[in-house]
Amino acid sequence: MQVTITNLRKDFGATRAVDDISFSFSSGEIIGFVGPNGAGKTTTMRILATLDEPTSGDAQIDDVSIVEVPEQARRMIGYVPDALPMHRDISVHEYLDFFARAYGLAGTQRRQVVENIEEFTNLASIREKSLYALSKGMKQRVSLARALIHDPPVLVMDEPASGLDPRARVELRELLRVLSSQGKAILISSHILTELSEICDGAVIIEQGKIITAGTLEEIIKPEDEQHTVLIRPLDKQDDLYKSLLLMPNVAAANQLGNAIEARIAGSEEMCSDLLATLIRDGYRIVEFKQQGSDLESVFMDVTKGETQ
Amino acid sequence: MKWIGDSLEKINDRLNPIVVKELRQAVQGKFLVVVIICFLCVQLLTMGLFLVIDKSVAESFDGGLKIFRVLVSNLLMTCLLCIPAYTGIRLANERADANVDLLFITTLRPQSIIWGKFLAGLVITVLLYSACMPFMTFTYLLRGIDLPSIFVLLTFDFLVVAVGIQSAIFVACIPANRVFRVILGVGWFVIVLIAVNIITVFSLLLMEFGIGSQLDAAEFWLGALGVLVSGLALIGIFALLSIALISPLSANRALPVRILVTVVWFLTGIGAAIWSIVIDDFDPIWVWAILHILLHSIGLFVAVSEREHLGWRVRQAVPRRWFARSMAFLFYSGAAGGVMWSASIIALTVLSAVGWLIVFPHMVTNDEMLRIAPLAVLGLYTFSYVLAASLIRRNFLMDRVTSNYTWVIALVLLGITTTIIPLILFFIYGKWDENWLVASPLGPFLFHDSEVVPFSLIISIFCAVFIGALSLPWFFRQFNAFRPPREKVASGSQTDKSGNVLGV
Repeated sequence: MQVTITNLRKDFGATRAVDDISFSFSSGEIIGFVGPNGAGKTTTMRILATLDEPTSGDAQIDDVSIVEVPEQARRMIGYVPDALPMHRDISVHEYLDFFARAYGLAGTQRRQVVENIEEFTNLASIREKSLYALSKGMKQRVSLARALIHDPPVLVMDEPASGLDPRARVELRELLRVLSSQGKAILISSHILTELSEICDGAVIIEQGKIITAGTLEEIIKPEDEQHTVLIRPLDKQDDLYKSLLLMPNVAAANQLGNAIEARIAGSEEMCSDLLATLIRDGYRIVEFKQQGSDLESVFMDVTKGETQ
Repeated sequence: MKWIGDSLEKINDRLNPIVVKELRQAVQGKFLVVVIICFLCVQLLTMGLFLVIDKSVAESFDGGLKIFRVLVSNLLMTCLLCIPAYTGIRLANERADANVDLLFITTLRPQSIIWGKFLAGLVITVLLYSACMPFMTFTYLLRGIDLPSIFVLLTFDFLVVAVGIQSAIFVACIPANRVFRVILGVGWFVIVLIAVNIITVFSLLLMEFGIGSQLDAAEFWLGALGVLVSGLALIGIFALLSIALISPLSANRALPVRILVTVVWFLTGIGAAIWSIVIDDFDPIWVWAILHILLHSIGLFVAVSEREHLGWRVRQAVPRRWFARSMAFLFYSGAAGGVMWSASIIALTVLSAVGWLIVFPHMVTNDEMLRIAPLAVLGLYTFSYVLAASLIRRNFLMDRVTSNYTWVIALVLLGITTTIIPLILFFIYGKWDENWLVASPLGPFLFHDSEVVPFSLIISIFCAVFIGALSLPWFFRQFNAFRPPREKVASGSQTDKSGNVLGV
């Protein structure tokens, strides 16, 4: 299943919230949708969820247009919004049961699906609790459970990790991995980029409604020039090591960071390996030698300006 | 007994999910419980006070009638204010942008959502009625009112409450920001308050006449049938409008509304004609004409604000044959077709009224033509204003104003010609002249000088012909574009053609 977003544009009066964006992703992929506040992420996701209509452009799930046949598209999309369910006077089970009915599930099948989803999202123990009285994390689970109730092949999740405690975040990550392994195409937005980079296959970085960069994580994070940054922590003689590093021909720069030294090495990864061998040969006792890869967060900081519409 | 369980299970599965959810929330929430308790207290207090303070109630032959009047007013007030407001506010909150309820992204059809909300409101009404029943029965025992009267009045009130619920749902579906929603809500509340008073007075009059004694009369049943049909038609129209409002923009939203309104126009026209013949008077036709011309004049503002470029979804349903396509052009979503449809109904209504007077010349009195002319002026001017607004938008404001705000331009034009210019003239000349309202669609209804009406009619005909002629190319363009698509563009090729898809 392929989700293809083509030249999507959304105007709110004079403000262009989404400006001609196009990208695609498919089954089994988790794609991070990243951008500063006001970049147009939520608007794009709401359009994908058929809650808003684009000013122009379209998104298609295989051959199903979300603009022309939103009813068909809704069967294929599970949407987890950034707003949590706030219904009063309804329990978790009743809420999920309602959505199961709304998606056309009936009889034993409906009961079975609701129970399975409650188990899967760890809601079984609180199924009779009022939705309104739940904590933020629990509401997030309910929101996810609701999005999964009709077993959609595409999941669109807007900030699902916000407000979750560390344990819940780890559980959410695991849950997403399971869903991805089940073949679901997942588009997820989050501000916690370190977590995104751990689970995502690719990312789309957006700012002021426009795509700044998009691709697989390797494509995005891969440094443009052949330079590597390594963090070296010696057991002793840190100053001597620092001076030695500065004298080495392949070391472009070095900085002392507390009890470690950050060195930028010009050349391939082989150079890093040679450097470590040289240092040991020279008698330095190295406790830690770690390559500092460029991560999604640093790429995000590099490519975005933090401007909103 | 297993079959009972199975049957109940089947019924449970077939229930509209919205009804299930709404009723679950209603019975678990505080609002309904508070309303029912307060209502019961008021009913009990009313009955108690009558029995304790007014000694004549127990002794006279119309004690029951006296109490029933108050009890039925309480019931109507509670049902007509609380239940529609409860239903409407809940739906409006669910539709709010900031807190959109996700039922709108399920596969539930808009029809199911609207009828589900309506049915849930009706069930709550039945609950209140049930709570009121013992009091009503007691009034019968106190004499002065018969069972048919109680039954007929409660049925009539139930119909009114049903219309109230559906109207509240319609108001809640109107896409608007918070401020405008509040204004709409207050407007609705005021109208309902007025309606409560009118209906209460009407109910009291019915009781005075004695319904039980009229059950044999054909006029009574004809009247009752008329009220029933009108109520159901109103519910149907409000429901279809609400469904259209929450349907996807790409859907053919106007089609069911236009079909129903046309059917109602036709059936009420026949009803008015029969009534006119029976009482041998032109009044029913005139009332029918003014109601429909007013409705379609408002409809012109809505129609001109529809989208001009139809999507694949509507176009694929366009018939290929010329005649069927022409008919579909009038009834399908689209600005030009919508304006044509409303204008056609207005024209047919005016022509029908004039034709009626030609067929039945004895109904013509001195002022009949003066009563019809303002109707024509109203339709012609509204037609002119909305087309002028569309012309201005397309030629000067295309980049700034989208088609769904054409009605605002039309209102501005209307404001300028009917308020600002007459006011300026008033300040210049220091006196008022009716001729200054010659550009007002409602002017002829206000003129005291009957000679101004023909003048207004001539000007309105000129405006309609002139602006209509200027808009002809637009109508032709829209009609030519109103064709079924040759073939659906393959999604893959569309993506490829754009050349900038960033495959991840």
